[in-house]
Amino acid sequence: MKIFNKKFPNIFLNKRKFYTKSSDKTSFFDERIIVEKKSFFREWDSKRSKLAAALSNGISQIGIKEGSVVLYLGASHGYTPSFVSDIIGDSGFVFCVEISPVVARDLVVICEKRKNMTPILASANHPETYKQLVVEADIVYQDIAQKNQVEIFLKNCNAYLKKEGFGLLTIKSRSIDITKKPKMIFKEVMKVLEEKMTVVDYRTLEPHEKDHALFVVKKK
Amino acid sequence: MVDFKKLRINNILLAKKTIREAVCEDDFIINSINNIEDLAKVANVLCKRLRQWYSLYLPEMYNKIGDNEAFVRLVLKKDKNTLMKELKLSETMGSDLSKNNLKPILALASRIDSLYTLRNELKDYLKKIMGVYCKNLLTLAGTVLGAKLIESGGSLKKLALMPSSTIQMLGAEKALFRHLKSGARPPKHGIILQHPLVGGAPKNKKGKAARLLADKLSIAIRTDFFKGEFIGNKLKEELKKRLK
Ligand SMILES: C[S@@+](CC[C@H](N)C(=O)[O-])C[C@H]1O[C@@H](n2cnc3c(N)ncnc32)[C@H](O)[C@@H]1O
Repeated sequence: MKIFNKKFPNIFLNKRKFYTKSSDKTSFFDERIIVEKKSFFREWDSKRSKLAAALSNGISQIGIKEGSVVLYLGASHGYTPSFVSDIIGDSGFVFCVEISPVVARDLVVICEKRKNMTPILASANHPETYKQLVVEADIVYQDIAQKNQVEIFLKNCNAYLKKEGFGLLTIKSRSIDITKKPKMIFKEVMKVLEEKMTVVDYRTLEPHEKDHALFVVKKK
Repeated sequence: MVDFKKLRINNILLAKKTIREAVCEDDFIINSINNIEDLAKVANVLCKRLRQWYSLYLPEMYNKIGDNEAFVRLVLKKDKNTLMKELKLSETMGSDLSKNNLKPILALASRIDSLYTLRNELKDYLKKIMGVYCKNLLTLAGTVLGAKLIESGGSLKKLALMPSSTIQMLGAEKALFRHLKSGARPPKHGIILQHPLVGGAPKNKKGKAARLLADKLSIAIRTDFFKGEFIGNKLKEELKKRLK
């Protein structure tokens, strides 16, 4: 197991696969677990996680590091959130917002196991509804396939992201407009983001995900 | 200093409560219809096996009785001689099986029969809860199609917020995406094709029938969702008239 990149000291590489160091040896998602020097490393699949896909495609910065407070929108069963939880460690914290009660059942189970995770059953489209349940965050991460996904992201960054904090936004071009070329959509998204934020980097997610991109922005 | 420990515990409790309280009619309907469909699939697979096995005994039944459910009932209710008489067979290619060899065949038939019974019970249950929750949809679409629409749409609420053109295409999403992306021929309908007024329409009228049905379904669903009055029969009559 070696460190993936000096910039990401908590992300590891082994035989071209990503791993994070976990305090827990439970494999919630059937992911492979490697034990090395009494530490547990969980395999992080770029096909299942857009964040891992962006890393694999060479994204230069993700902002998420040891001790980060993360607001995660569209947490689903908790796959990517669990790796974020590994990266930020005991001194970090991740708030996992998910709208669907059915998938959130798995999310709750993981949150009960991990001391730095908590679930929030709410729509990210209405950030005011979880005002009492979250705190200001160093990172806002969003993975929601909705037509107004950019608007949802900006609303949340506006309400909860610290100044100079990082925002990570995954875009599924099909959800915005299926008839347009993904490239055009990404261009439009870039323009909207640039009005409010500093765009740090972005990557399309081929071959891991079709017609997807991940944007990294910084709050001015 | 933020007390993350407390925040975490409170949020977990709150999330559990929200999940608990979110259980509603839509969940009962979606689980029932998914099981109804799978029970039918499983029963039909097993029935094919039963037909092969039973053919050692009375092969002439295989082609004479096409309906699976009827086949199983006959195997269970009537003995070989009675069946031969009823099917007007003077002889059979089937062998006389010993009690010992017949027993497992009948046991299989009896299990398949109980699958069909369970499916019918679930349909009755669905009809009952849909009669209270969405009587207009039930009346216009029927139990199975009505429930499938709720399953495809996600919930009655989501259906109520959909334009009728989306309801018309539910279940044909793949073909629709293909059309939008690459200009392939657009689909005319999704699962509403299962409605007798659409499925039974002549080929060149199917598209129109699908559109009209989707319009009426949309009205029925919205009326149900906003707890309006019963207009199911009226909608059905209007639809029949327009499709004459
Ligand atoms: C693509 S999945 C997320 C996968 C997850 N990020 C991962 O990598 O493991 C999108 C999730 O967003 C949820 N979602 C959709 N709309 C939402 C909203 N308005 N607020 C919160 N979650 C939403 C969906 O229920 C779904 O679980």
